[in-house]
Amino acid sequence: MGRNLDNLFVYPKQLMDEESMSVVRLVRQWSDKEIVTRRMEYREDYEKLFTLKRKMLCIDLGLQKLTIPADLGGFGWNSPLKAPALLALACETGRADASIGILSAASWALFLMIACQHNHNDKLCDSLAARYSDETVRTPALILTGPGRTGMQTPLFFGRSILACAEKSETGFTLNGEDLRPLIAGGMADFFCVVCADGNGKPGIALVSGDAKGVKRGPSILMTGLNACGNAQIDFNHVPVPVENVLDQDRNIEELYSWLNLLLGGVSVGAAMNFFELLADWSDNRTIKGGVMLKENPLCASVLADVAEEIALARLLLGDLAAIVAEQTESRPETIRRTFTYAGMIGHRVQQGVMHAMNRGLELMGSAGYAKEWHVEKHWRDVKTIQSILYGVAAEAPLKMDTARFFYNCTEI
Amino acid sequence: MKHIDEFSRSEEYISPFDRHFRRLLRKTIEESIMPFRRGYDEDWKDHHLIEPAFDRIMVGLGLQKGLFPIEHGGMGLANSDYFFRAGYMVCEELGRADTGFAVALGVTYWPLLVISVDPYVNKRLIAEFAPMFCDTNKAVFAANAMTEPQGGSDIENLGLLGGKTIRTTARLDGDEWVINGHKLWPTNSGGVSKLFGVPCTTKPGSNDPKDFAFIYVPADLPGVTQGGAYEKAGMAADKNGDIWFEDVRVPAWYRAHGPGRDAEAFYQLIPFGQVMSCAFLTGAMMNLYERLYEFVSTRTYNNRPLKENDAVAGIIGRIAGDIDICRILGYESAMIGDRRNKPYGKPLISEDVVGRIRNIKDFVSDRAVDCFGKAMDVLGLYGADRDWDIEKHWRDIKIVQLWMGGKQLCQMEAARYFFNCETL
Repeated sequence: MGRNLDNLFVYPKQLMDEESMSVVRLVRQWSDKEIVTRRMEYREDYEKLFTLKRKMLCIDLGLQKLTIPADLGGFGWNSPLKAPALLALACETGRADASIGILSAASWALFLMIACQHNHNDKLCDSLAARYSDETVRTPALILTGPGRTGMQTPLFFGRSILACAEKSETGFTLNGEDLRPLIAGGMADFFCVVCADGNGKPGIALVSGDAKGVKRGPSILMTGLNACGNAQIDFNHVPVPVENVLDQDRNIEELYSWLNLLLGGVSVGAAMNFFELLADWSDNRTIKGGVMLKENPLCASVLADVAEEIALARLLLGDLAAIVAEQTESRPETIRRTFTYAGMIGHRVQQGVMHAMNRGLELMGSAGYAKEWHVEKHWRDVKTIQSILYGVAAEAPLKMDTARFFYNCTEI
Repeated sequence: MKHIDEFSRSEEYISPFDRHFRRLLRKTIEESIMPFRRGYDEDWKDHHLIEPAFDRIMVGLGLQKGLFPIEHGGMGLANSDYFFRAGYMVCEELGRADTGFAVALGVTYWPLLVISVDPYVNKRLIAEFAPMFCDTNKAVFAANAMTEPQGGSDIENLGLLGGKTIRTTARLDGDEWVINGHKLWPTNSGGVSKLFGVPCTTKPGSNDPKDFAFIYVPADLPGVTQGGAYEKAGMAADKNGDIWFEDVRVPAWYRAHGPGRDAEAFYQLIPFGQVMSCAFLTGAMMNLYERLYEFVSTRTYNNRPLKENDAVAGIIGRIAGDIDICRILGYESAMIGDRRNKPYGKPLISEDVVGRIRNIKDFVSDRAVDCFGKAMDVLGLYGADRDWDIEKHWRDIKIVQLWMGGKQLCQMEAARYFFNCETL
């Protein structure tokens, strides 16, 4: 440890103001003091310490209110201009624990979708802000698009199936859907952010309270990683949803995906930076061939270089994406579509690069790579989970279609 | 394609053992492992779920007796013409269900192979240890206690280092060897094994193969201490831990063959271990195909089954193609092993065999890691689910890629052979 990560993995800081930098420094201190330097203790008592440390970050440091508008009692980071700073925070939290990172990122993304100036939904902001302003850690679960089932024709969001349906009722909307799969946290969520379609198949987003009548959670799902984000399948059976809780513009979904690609990319890069630290520590005193320092062997050095290179490039790419997102201060469909496409391309590259880095690093570490004691295997499992759930379905195929549509005006794919 | 058995392998390579035994083995595995494997991760310490399955496979089907000669109650596989291919079949079938389970069985053969396979046969030791494995109704495990804390994969790099980094010592005291040292990570340690094969040095720091000794140590002898099992990313059916040998005394004739020949016989483990690693991988990949087939047939993108979308078909077509090619290569590696005594074959310890087999294992490992990672992405939201089994294999097969010196040692052995490298 003790390496200066920001000197090693450079990223553009010109879009970060002093306030942002100080919050990032604060979270780095939290991460170092509470988790990174106490890995063993954290691992052995994970369930309890995860809750405790997350509460410290969300409530004591106040990061839960980060993207809540200032006039509603938040930090007021509800602006695309804060994208670079939010990315840096996603990295810092991901470096500590990807589960804490992804839960924070989901909350931030949610407010950014409804509280950015160009996209402001007053009523929904008020009610969500009130919910976020007490001393309880809040957990959203995102139910996005994914695979459909053979034999069913579902409404689509660029080819991906929308399995929840929000139909107009006398008082607002009624939400239905079976066996819906949140990205994470279905079993522990306070509320759900659900991509749904209306009776005509038009996509939108509904926000549903976790304790609403008609919400049913399935048994917990065992997953590869992100084990603290207890997931479960969700059924919505005639769940009433107020009118203001439904966002009925395509652009909302595109913006949500853009933020998620940016912030979850940040979480994965953060995890990868800690992976790098652990690998670098390990390689500092390992020998091969009866006494040669491992890192001084050209083959091993080239593997170590691969790891660093992938992480460094992923961080740079995300910095570029943050700059693109930061420019999106208006709701012109073509701008939103461009950002959505770039976020998909860069998000895909970043997750792929980080996984490649980790796979290469594990190759070198051998048994230390897969022993839980060394902790790198947790980062590896967590990031793989993020990568797969972020794709939603069919690996990179839907993203390639988005890209082809944007660059070549394809209309049939 | 109708069935996983249609993945390619040369028909000429199929052994009589395969023809008669595979179906029975598969049926037993499907009854005793596959329905329970999703619970194995949580069973890593106690093996409550895992142990009964071992009893059924290793004792019920007699696989733990596999190497021993028929006159000792075994199956006589070690001296058959199809030892590697038979092993491949068993490990492939087990790998399809659980590679951790497969390696626990495969490694039980490992130390015994040093005394069982021509031209390195020690009949007295075979007779000594046969009852331990053949006359019992409980699963019995053996382990190769190779890796040492300071040495990493040096022990698998015997060709270059000649054992000079080994710190576990064997000192002859009258008619007994006295063994001292610390080993870690062997498969079937963590309190599981009844018998260890222990690579030692009779002269610390020497790289003379004559100073390398391979000595058998029953696990219940005074001075043998085993630590608890490590917690790992996967492969819960395979326990690993520390073993300490403190003034452990065994009869002098527990040494496998004697100066020089111990190192040669021990080195056979490398090709055997790598071929069986290929078998674990292709078995797991065949199960990947089964699970992926179900997903891409029942789930849709653009309201059509995933497999009927051209872009997705491009991805899953590559995965199935890789499985097909890897299986051909895996069987070829087994055949290289089974040609060892033929006029046109090469000894297992030759650079030729080691280089080629390491190369195949490296290639198959890389493809397996890629295929499983990609398959998880095809499943998307469901890729990380235990219920789809692919994620478990993904965690397990990464371990197969890393062990026995991992990728880099495979690359070095291949370079040494193919380019006649002299200093690496």
